[in-house]
Amino acid sequence: MSGSIEVQNVSKEFRLQADRPTSVKERFTRRNRDKTETHFWALDHVSLEIPEGSMYALVGHNGSGKSTLLRCIAGIYRPDTGKVNASGRISTLLELGAGFHPDLSGRENVYLNATILGMSRKQIDAKFDEIVDFAGVEQFIDSPVKVYSSGMYVRLGFSVAVHVQPEILIIDEVIAVGDEQFQRKCFDHLYGLRRQGVTIVVVTHGMATVETMCDGAAWLDHGVLQMQGPAVEVAASYLKSVNDAEAEDRAAHRGGGRGGLRSMASRSSAPGDDPLVLDPEATEIEILEVEIRDADGNATMTIEHGTPMQVAVRYLAHAELDDLAFGYGINAENGAHVCGTHTQIAGVPSGKILPGEGEAVFVIDSTPLIAGNYEVSGAIADKHVQHIFDRRDRETRLIVRRGDVRSGAGLVEIPGHWELHSPQSGTAKRSTEGVAEEV
Amino acid sequence: MTAPKKVWAYRTLITNLALRDLRSRYKKSILGWLWSLINPATTLAIYTVVFGVFLGVEAPIAGNGHSKLFALYLFSALVAWNTFASGVSTAMQSFLAAGGLLTRTYFPPEVPIIAGSLTVLTQTAVETVILIGFMVAIGNLGWTTLFAIPILLLLTSFSFGIGMIVSLLNVRYRDVAYLTALGIQVLFYATPIVYSDTIASKHPWAATLLKLNPMTHFVGAMRHSVYLLQPPTLLNWVAMIGSTLVMTSVGWWVFATKAPRYIEEI
Repeated sequence: MSGSIEVQNVSKEFRLQADRPTSVKERFTRRNRDKTETHFWALDHVSLEIPEGSMYALVGHNGSGKSTLLRCIAGIYRPDTGKVNASGRISTLLELGAGFHPDLSGRENVYLNATILGMSRKQIDAKFDEIVDFAGVEQFIDSPVKVYSSGMYVRLGFSVAVHVQPEILIIDEVIAVGDEQFQRKCFDHLYGLRRQGVTIVVVTHGMATVETMCDGAAWLDHGVLQMQGPAVEVAASYLKSVNDAEAEDRAAHRGGGRGGLRSMASRSSAPGDDPLVLDPEATEIEILEVEIRDADGNATMTIEHGTPMQVAVRYLAHAELDDLAFGYGINAENGAHVCGTHTQIAGVPSGKILPGEGEAVFVIDSTPLIAGNYEVSGAIADKHVQHIFDRRDRETRLIVRRGDVRSGAGLVEIPGHWELHSPQSGTAKRSTEGVAEEV
Repeated sequence: MTAPKKVWAYRTLITNLALRDLRSRYKKSILGWLWSLINPATTLAIYTVVFGVFLGVEAPIAGNGHSKLFALYLFSALVAWNTFASGVSTAMQSFLAAGGLLTRTYFPPEVPIIAGSLTVLTQTAVETVILIGFMVAIGNLGWTTLFAIPILLLLTSFSFGIGMIVSLLNVRYRDVAYLTALGIQVLFYATPIVYSDTIASKHPWAATLLKLNPMTHFVGAMRHSVYLLQPPTLLNWVAMIGSTLVMTSVGWWVFATKAPRYIEEI
């Protein structure tokens, strides 16, 4: 079977020798050297299976071993234990244009780079026009690449890597470069490759990419495999852990940057925004689920624009609790924060909460969201909104469909109506001023 | 050993890398390709003047029975020497230069060194053609001249073996490049190039030392076949083939086992 990757029990160790001789002279002259070596396991017995023809993501924070694993799969690093079975031609995109020689022309570099990736001259001849066309550098193909703009450089590098007919394509966070248009082109092309059965392994920090594009994912932390499985699940667990860790971190440095529930759900997938403090010891109450319901109160994922919708935060209280604040928030797929509010803002006191299951439901008479994909969050905090008992960030998906009601562009339809003051005969001057005022 | 097989699979890359080096080497210079000839020509001129004229080192009578040209006697040895010296230093440079590439894509780490050897071999071929051109001009050509081909090929392989070990060390210790340059210089005078081995044989210890130096045999074999038009001695052949086999296999074995680790340090 070509294109499948099997990672069996792979470990990779790096030695960090503090005081290593860097020259032959030192080797012989300094004998009282500190010989202690710090061993550092970049990968610790990782086993994975990546099926043929799938798009697979490796996620984890910086230094978690993702790139090391990619290099082991690509054969650049030799694992210390275990082995990698990767059948099929591997093309790597660890750094765009890595093999380019500045003095040689684009044409010469295409041939050189493609042979590095294992193509024969004939194969390159057949693909050459396609490569150049995709990169959009026809005009400059015979100029030395040192005169290329960085965008052209990157485009040519990507183009070569994806056109060498790989069976396995390994990408290390490089698609993030290039302009918007080229990025979209890249993703389209990657989709096309996957359809042709190419196995694609990517390292990425963009959880949206993972959720929308990948089939499977693995999450690494300090070289240890935390989880592997369907991309959506892995991404959700990873995000949750990032949020939790961050909340813990904030709790440890209590006092800074709390914005109340208004910042709820403003968290995008990129960590580092301003989250609320999640009390790690708060086990008094937990969120079971954040649910979307239709007009009849049935749980659903899809709502038609302009129809009623409910957001229910279902919880389980373990102890008797005083006044609480329940909140919800909605983010657009691209991370834009659409709205968010909580019971304290609305002036709805929850009263005493007894142990057991309950729910807080936000009822929307007419969904103002415009057709698209959204993510819904929920949170429970104390009545001063000073600490969070539990939160679910963007874990619930919401798809808004275009309904019978016509809608405009953007994310939400803001309630309102039009009034037209058209020019009357003989009052032309006044109406011009009127327009200016409206603007 | 699977390494040669893997390398064979990457033969297109090897030729492309070699072509890249050759193309880019003199691309921006006024004299271009002439540079590759100016360097050995200058060396040849200096040595001829210093050793042949000032110090009066005499060349033996050439194979045609009448010519006695120190410059050509020297040139036939220098062709072999240049193959060795630039073979070793090019191996070091190419491995270091390919380092960035090796940490980003997979290909056998021997590939850049082999490509380097090919560029050196190209240079050697050009010099050999010129040398033989001179030999034709003085009418000193024989069937033994053909021995130059196996001798220079063996020498390339010998230098390749040494080059692989030195390039590994060069990655770890930054002064290896200087030490190698120094070692090559010492070896130059420890090889009968600017003098003939008959001069050295006046001192028995020196004669023994010279015999132990594989380069003596490569250089001697070149002189025999191209200048004296005699087949190289049996001892020459044994020494050349033996040292080539040992250095190539040891060098390659060390390289194949150690290179993956060393690459991580580049």
